[in-house]
Amino acid sequence: MIEVRGVTKTYGKKNNVFTALSDVNFSIPDGASVAIVGKSGSGKSTLMHAMSGLDRPQTGEVIIDGQDILKLKSKEVDRFRSRKMSFIFQSFFVEANETCYNNVGMVCEIAGVPANEHRRKIEKALEAVELLDKKKSRARDLSGGQKQRLAIARAIVNNPTTLFADEPTGNLDSSTGEIIENLLFRYNKEKGVTLIIVTHDDDLASRCDINIQIRDGRIVSINEKKPKKESALKKKKVAKK
Amino acid sequence: MKRRYIIRRAGRSLKQAKARTLLTSLAIAVGAFTLTIAIAAGEGSRQYADKLIGSNVNPKALFIVKDKTIFEGGQNQSGLQEYDPDSTTIQGGQATIKQLTQKDIEKLESRDDIEDVRPRYQLSIEYLSVEDSDKKFTADVSQYDSTIRNETSTGSLPELGVSIDDDELVMPESFAGTLVKSKVIQKKADIVGKKITLTVTKPTRQPTEEEIRKALLSGGGVDAIRALTETESKQVSLTVRALTKESSTSLSFTSAIQISPAKAQDLFDYTTEGTDQYRKYIAVTALAVEGNDPVDVKEALKKDGYPSQTAEDLQNLLFTIVNILQGIVAGFGVLALIASVFGIINTQYISVLERTQQIGLMKALGAHNKDVAKLFRYEAAWIGFLGGVIGSMIALVSGVALNPWITEQLDLGEGNHLLVFEPLPIVSLIVGLMIIAVVAGYFPSRKAAKLDPIEALRTE
Ligand SMILES: Nc1ncnc2c1ncn2[C@@H]1O[C@H](COP(=O)(O)OP(=O)(O)OP(=O)(O)O)[C@@H](O)[C@H]1O
Ligand SMILES: [Mg+2]
Repeated sequence: MIEVRGVTKTYGKKNNVFTALSDVNFSIPDGASVAIVGKSGSGKSTLMHAMSGLDRPQTGEVIIDGQDILKLKSKEVDRFRSRKMSFIFQSFFVEANETCYNNVGMVCEIAGVPANEHRRKIEKALEAVELLDKKKSRARDLSGGQKQRLAIARAIVNNPTTLFADEPTGNLDSSTGEIIENLLFRYNKEKGVTLIIVTHDDDLASRCDINIQIRDGRIVSINEKKPKKESALKKKKVAKK
Repeated sequence: MKRRYIIRRAGRSLKQAKARTLLTSLAIAVGAFTLTIAIAAGEGSRQYADKLIGSNVNPKALFIVKDKTIFEGGQNQSGLQEYDPDSTTIQGGQATIKQLTQKDIEKLESRDDIEDVRPRYQLSIEYLSVEDSDKKFTADVSQYDSTIRNETSTGSLPELGVSIDDDELVMPESFAGTLVKSKVIQKKADIVGKKITLTVTKPTRQPTEEEIRKALLSGGGVDAIRALTETESKQVSLTVRALTKESSTSLSFTSAIQISPAKAQDLFDYTTEGTDQYRKYIAVTALAVEGNDPVDVKEALKKDGYPSQTAEDLQNLLFTIVNILQGIVAGFGVLALIASVFGIINTQYISVLERTQQIGLMKALGAHNKDVAKLFRYEAAWIGFLGGVIGSMIALVSGVALNPWITEQLDLGEGNHLLVFEPLPIVSLIVGLMIIAVVAGYFPSRKAAKLDPIEALRTE
């Protein structure tokens, strides 16, 4: 369960304040797939960063499993991120010069996975995205779709509870994008991982359980497309316009 | 993040930027090379000096004087000074030096912390000649020093501490060479066993009026008076016992004929009798009695007004020179290192900028700021390590290769090397360079640690 309460994020100083997020409230049940949609510059990425503790909004709370991560020290947030969250980015952000194995391995190293489990975990993750045969290849030699699959392998290797994806298909053609989408949703269904996708793509958004529409830093609407479990989403407060 | 992962990661990053890593570490390698050479040369010269002194000088020997200016490099003592009847002017009136008198010798001999007190005689002969030849030669003559070992090419010398006999002399091999050239002998070795006659003269002195009157009265006329002013001379015949070899490890090698101390005293007394030099000596040598540390004896002597130098002082004197030379070479090494520090800072800064994305990613995945800082510091340490190893290995290889040539050029003698490489200093040098590199990498690593992950991930 992720609860976002009264989150406000502003940029700039006194004379030139820009409010990127303004009093955002919602909650996401465990295992849901969520799409954050909205126009460019509406604050989608900013919201995602705030939810993952990468960014620190000026006010508000982000409560994950009963813990307000904004109140944690930066080291504890780091630990929280390495154990429970993972990320997929629009421009892949794989380490081009490292092998696929080491790209995925970095997560294990950061999260402090015991050394004797690295190999098994990494190979399992690579297998899940069908990249096991590229284990020794350097990431720079992969195609765009393969890079994003590698990013997914890296994201799932340490069994996170929440997976953030910021426009995961934005840089891919539609058929490759679909492969990535399928991978993400399969993982969401199979492992019950909470999937939070930032996207422009309406088709992708329609595959998600919950759609959070955002405009100018405010939530416009929250739609539960396919209420699998009844009332999975508890609306706390919807700020309108 | 575990240290070992960070170190491995740092190693991989450097491997991926091979050219840059190599160039940066080469800057350090230059410093490491120079420092390794400096250390090796220092070690080598110290060992050489040690060997030189240890094998040649009796560690118990003391060189005692009355005037400590002798140890200060014969400082020019001009100006008004209190008259001292025991003083003498030497070196063409350039310096006045207090000398040891017979009374001083007796005082020193009566001490129980030193033994074998022997004055150093300042000898000069008129000429010398070899038996069966009427050619005359001039040469320096000094007294045989039994505390110092000499190497011989022909003949043998008594063991350390024992002097040659009073009717013997030792001459440098090169003198024999001169005699061969002058056709006095056939080959160098022939001189050993031959008799050599030394002629010494008494200084001319003004005859007194009394003597002149006596000479006149005796009826000898002008010839009798001329006889008075004629130089008196004396001849001693000595057998050549051995030829000393000029050796690089023979510290004492003097290009002088050496005669026994007793003979030297005899000749010295003869040549100085009636002058103000009679029974006065600039220096004496003595040995510390068994059970007394020469350093303590030196202190005791100083208290009693006799400055002295021990074998160790001699060693320190050599070491001072070595240290200065070593310091100069090391100075260049340090300069090179300072330059390389800026090299490291520069490359690491560029590296941080280039890898903003990687840094952002690591942080997004939960790496602590400290881990990121460590990554860059370990990279710097790797560069330092690499530079240190490259530099010291090149120094080692070229040093070992060049040692025989250097030995030959500097005439150090067989088996002696100027550059002596010890593992410990090299290892500590490499460790030191790694620390320097880490310090140089501090600012870039701090920049990396402070990087905002969101900013970092925004850059494409
Ligand atoms: N560091 C910053 N300083 C000032 N303004 C910022 C900063 N970061 C983001 N913004 C602003 O906040 C707003 C929200 O940005 P955000 O990146 O969340 O947009 P987005 O919805 O993700 O857009 P896109 O779909 O193009 O990625 C934008 O108007 C952006 O200009
Ligand atoms: Mg965005």
